[in-house]
Amino acid sequence: MTTFSDLQLDALRELANIGSGNAGTALGSMLGKSVHISVPTAAALPLAEAVAIAGEPDALRHGVVVPVVGDFRAIVLLLFPDDDARKLCAIYGIEPSTADGRSMLGEVGNILGTNYINVLAQMAGMRLDPAPPQVVEDMLGSILSSVLIGRGEEIEEALVLDSKLQVEEEQCSLSFLLLPDHGGIKELLGRLGL
Amino acid sequence: METVVRMGEASASNTPGDVLACIGLGSCIGLALVDRSKGVAALAHVMLPEAPKPDPPQPHKFADLAVPALLDLVLAHGGSRLRLEAALVGGAAMFQFGGSGQDIGQRNAHAVARHLETLRIPVRATEVGGSKGRTVRVAVGADLAITVREAGGTEEHLLGAARAGAESRAVFA
Repeated sequence: MTTFSDLQLDALRELANIGSGNAGTALGSMLGKSVHISVPTAAALPLAEAVAIAGEPDALRHGVVVPVVGDFRAIVLLLFPDDDARKLCAIYGIEPSTADGRSMLGEVGNILGTNYINVLAQMAGMRLDPAPPQVVEDMLGSILSSVLIGRGEEIEEALVLDSKLQVEEEQCSLSFLLLPDHGGIKELLGRLGL
Repeated sequence: METVVRMGEASASNTPGDVLACIGLGSCIGLALVDRSKGVAALAHVMLPEAPKPDPPQPHKFADLAVPALLDLVLAHGGSRLRLEAALVGGAAMFQFGGSGQDIGQRNAHAVARHLETLRIPVRATEVGGSKGRTVRVAVGADLAITVREAGGTEEHLLGAARAGAESRAVFA
């Protein structure tokens, strides 16, 4: 079924590991807290399953979408359960469902997305830039399906690189996903000689 | 029993008490074809306006193929061709990804509506567009009813027995 070999998925997982680790460090210095990032999982899944493994499709999530543009198209997506978004925003004394809260979550997306893709760009010798983040509060299934379908190109399966990020002192965790587009990922693998 | 219809899938039932659901629709469309007189319904979770090539593995993914395929499915479950009614839910624009042209949610809604018109199936209720995700449920049986819930909202009647005039909730023509 999958169009990626195990070797390719391992390489992508390692890239995601370095990228998300770097991003976590950057977020930690912004917040002045220690941030732990789990070793990511890399999977190529049919779209319906990519949505199903993320959790209950009608669960409410705060989502931050950072489109990546340049030599490679992808989306960096952060998903926060409401409680975790509250804890993170509370560091600055604000509420997530306000203009300030959305701006704060967008900034977290910006820091994580920028640092993640800078690592990918350096390693693969590609030019990648983040577009401004978009912050939504909606059902998990709605967010993820809309992001995966994106502009409406036909894709059979989604490549999902998923890490869990934890702000340790705050017991706050979120999902940190890179959703590359297929053409882009083949290009990236090609540059890495895989 | 509740059957969750995932992206690109479709399901139908004529068993009273069954529920068909598309949960967490964003830019996708939940398309219901129902025959209320017989208590038969079919629901598809449509993702894109047009199939890029013929005979894809999941025809219900694409509006142009999903509409005729769903028609066959509801007829196979005992629906009467002349009594069929359609309801459309979803097609939200949750994000702006830039680029040209209409957003995908709107294109999906238009494509589904156009193919329904070609097949002369009347659209009785729509809840499409906007920027919020939605869940649609079709309760099968003699008092067949379609409900919609927006993210963070409550379950609202869209079509069916529970409340006269519920059809006027349509927000998009």
